Amino acid sequence: MFDITAQLTRREAAKRLGAGVLFTFTASRLGADESKDEPLLTSRLHVAEDGTVTVLTGKVEIGQGIRTTLAQAAAEELKLPPARIRLIMGDTALVPDDGGTWGSMTTPRTVPVIRQACASLRELLRQSAAKIWNIDSAKLNVADGRATSPDGRSYDYAELAKSAVFGVARSTDAALTDPAKWRVCGTPLRSVNGPAIVSGKLTYSSDLIAKDTLFGKVLRGPNHRSKLLGFEDAQARELPGVRVVHEEGVLGVTAPTEVLAEKAARLIQARWSDDELGGPETLFKDLRSRARAPEAGNGGRYPPVMHAGSVEAGMASAAHKLKATYRLAYIAHMPLECRTAVAQWQGDRLTVHCGTQAPFLLRSEIAQALNMPEERVRIVVSDTGSGYGGKHSSECELEAARLSRGITQPVRLAWTRAEESTRVYCRPAAIIDVTSGLSSDGKVVAWDFHNINGGPAGLTPPYAFPNHSVAFHASDSPLQQGSYRSLAAAGNAFARESQMNEMAAIAGVDPLEFRLRNISDPRLKAVLLRAAHGFGWGKRKAGNGTGFGLACNLEKGGYIALCAELDVNGHEVKLRRFVAAFDAGAVVNPDMLSNQVEGALVQGIGGALFEELKFDRQRILNGVFSGYRLPRFSDTPEIEVHLIDQRNLPSAGAGESPITAVAPAIAAAIYSAGGKRVREMPMLPALQETTESAKIS
Amino acid sequence: MGILKLTVNGAEHHIDAEHTTPLLIVLRDHLHLTGAKYGCGEGQCGACTVLLSGKQVRSCITPAGEVAGRPVETIEGLSQGATLHRIQQAFIEASAFQCGFCTPGMIMATAGLLRENAHPSGEEIRSALDGNICRCGTYSRIVKAVAKAAGGAERV
Repeated sequence: MFDITAQLTRREAAKRLGAGVLFTFTASRLGADESKDEPLLTSRLHVAEDGTVTVLTGKVEIGQGIRTTLAQAAAEELKLPPARIRLIMGDTALVPDDGGTWGSMTTPRTVPVIRQACASLRELLRQSAAKIWNIDSAKLNVADGRATSPDGRSYDYAELAKSAVFGVARSTDAALTDPAKWRVCGTPLRSVNGPAIVSGKLTYSSDLIAKDTLFGKVLRGPNHRSKLLGFEDAQARELPGVRVVHEEGVLGVTAPTEVLAEKAARLIQARWSDDELGGPETLFKDLRSRARAPEAGNGGRYPPVMHAGSVEAGMASAAHKLKATYRLAYIAHMPLECRTAVAQWQGDRLTVHCGTQAPFLLRSEIAQALNMPEERVRIVVSDTGSGYGGKHSSECELEAARLSRGITQPVRLAWTRAEESTRVYCRPAAIIDVTSGLSSDGKVVAWDFHNINGGPAGLTPPYAFPNHSVAFHASDSPLQQGSYRSLAAAGNAFARESQMNEMAAIAGVDPLEFRLRNISDPRLKAVLLRAAHGFGWGKRKAGNGTGFGLACNLEKGGYIALCAELDVNGHEVKLRRFVAAFDAGAVVNPDMLSNQVEGALVQGIGGALFEELKFDRQRILNGVFSGYRLPRFSDTPEIEVHLIDQRNLPSAGAGESPITAVAPAIAAAIYSAGGKRVREMPMLPALQETTESAKIS
Repeated sequence: MGILKLTVNGAEHHIDAEHTTPLLIVLRDHLHLTGAKYGCGEGQCGACTVLLSGKQVRSCITPAGEVAGRPVETIEGLSQGATLHRIQQAFIEASAFQCGFCTPGMIMATAGLLRENAHPSGEEIRSALDGNICRCGTYSRIVKAVAKAAGGAERV
């Protein structure tokens, strides 16, 4: 059973970390993803008296395997076996703010930070030993967790922890291990969570059910705009142990059991305002009519407007022009673990255990909503039953905090599947307009690309288009929308790569050859050729219901190419085979990386073929699994992943890039099988419509 | 309320809960066996899978009152002490998970499958597990893990 320690006293912190020394680094070299103005001291590493090293990080484990990868990175630099490393992740009372776990940033940004801290500690070990032995530190060797002298003396991290009375490591510029000499990084270390996962012992936030826990339930109107007008709760209050809570528009109950909480909630009659969402039948018309001019902002990671050359001149010189519009439906993240928060107050201090991707953002949002200083809010993140960009917001955690106010017991608020998929943001619907110009020698000489409502991520073409103009136009959405794995890049790549395939057909050139003519980036060329070779591209003839498709992309530093084979039978599409090549720089853990690529490809199948949130004017209609189709075993093709390890290049993140290639490769394969050019995600409903209308005519 | 008599992982329990209470809630809230997970509450995802008389059931839609007198097996009862079951070992070796939230259900569904069919083909594995969702998309690895646990070739 889980024991909730609501507030972390100095003694409790010591208990959690164990006896030893906490090493603090200045943030100038070892800071968070987001740049901060003030110099920070960051407690990053703890060395216990038995020599175990604990790495402290604000990043969290959401299934991407980063607990393992970070342990590997630390082990490599400390020259310790990975089994001697542990990680405390996402506890705002203990760890530094490394930014949210999003945007494929942990491997490129946090791995180097942790490597640097660990390299510094390793050098401290070396120098301490040198000082004790009065010997030149360059003559010492550090391996297997100890510094050894030429005459056989040794000094390990346990001894360092026992002797050290200092807490600041000064040598933050210690040299990192040359990737060419990696011994732990670059190997397929199995998940450090593996034994706990397969035994059912990994404790997710939804598993935190302490003995005195009260169960919460929140009442909800038809949609996110509904406002509470009034309620009648007399019957609910008669149930034993039930409290009814009404605070700042949140109406809910707490009860001694989950069953009783649900019963009490059903007995409350609440009246809601009749605010509407907007009509689904006019969705795309409305998004277009409400689209705003792109705001040329400060650039940032996803600048909303970019130009090169002259699109006008390019169009004028083009032998062929192609204009097409692509559309994307709303889709839900559907992480298998629904949000669960366990909140507990101690006086004016609040602790919330949960499964968020962004502990420090949550702390700030909750403190602001409850009008209290951040220092009095502690967020503790459990390793999470996945997120895919969907768990950045604080709705559930804030509700739990409100339900538990005024009592001393912890309140557990576990959202249902329907709440998880209808009460937070989803991936935006989008319209993408593309006009392109093609020269007579098969080169794209003009590219005009406008995304409405989808987002600015992944607008930049990875091709050598001399004249291009890309823009993102924000609009007003009937549904709450936000981050999703790869953000808008999946939609933008779908439109871009589909347009490329169509232009290749106009030029009468094979889609692989057509791309090679328009690529100058050697890494993009390399993944394309690797995937094509692995697949046997061009060796078999498409037709008779069997089709082949190809797509490539550069997203968040990761180069992806995907070849797909499928069968089209009437309205059904059966995926047969995916062969992908991926280059994300130096590979820290090939097994984790390959798993991420495979997972992203499978997740992409849903958005490409069948996932769609349906809604009417009042509510989202299919927020449960029986109404919302997700990829299953039977939807998954044979998958082959070729990793290109570039040890001499920095590592990019891998969680997002591969998903962007899926829809365009499938669309191309459907067309090659003798089907239609489908310009909508998801494709299956669109495929049915086109087939039916063709029949009618 | 009434007293429910349940046999879980060989141990007998007397639980004060209504007969209609889902088995999943009894396992998790009353017995603190949290290996079985809530994913959907409508028997669609398989995260709550346990074995009832040796066959896989969705504990989220199984009333606890209906299982009295029949043995329930959960992921917590699969391994023998510290030694992992061969299915669990195969899942680790194949890295057949990411977040791991679906894994206990996948493993229990696999245990049910292998008792009925000791050497399933790849197609039989896919078909038997098609009611279990892995949202992280590790399906190919799961098929390899199950084949490995069944003593078959890794590639199926």
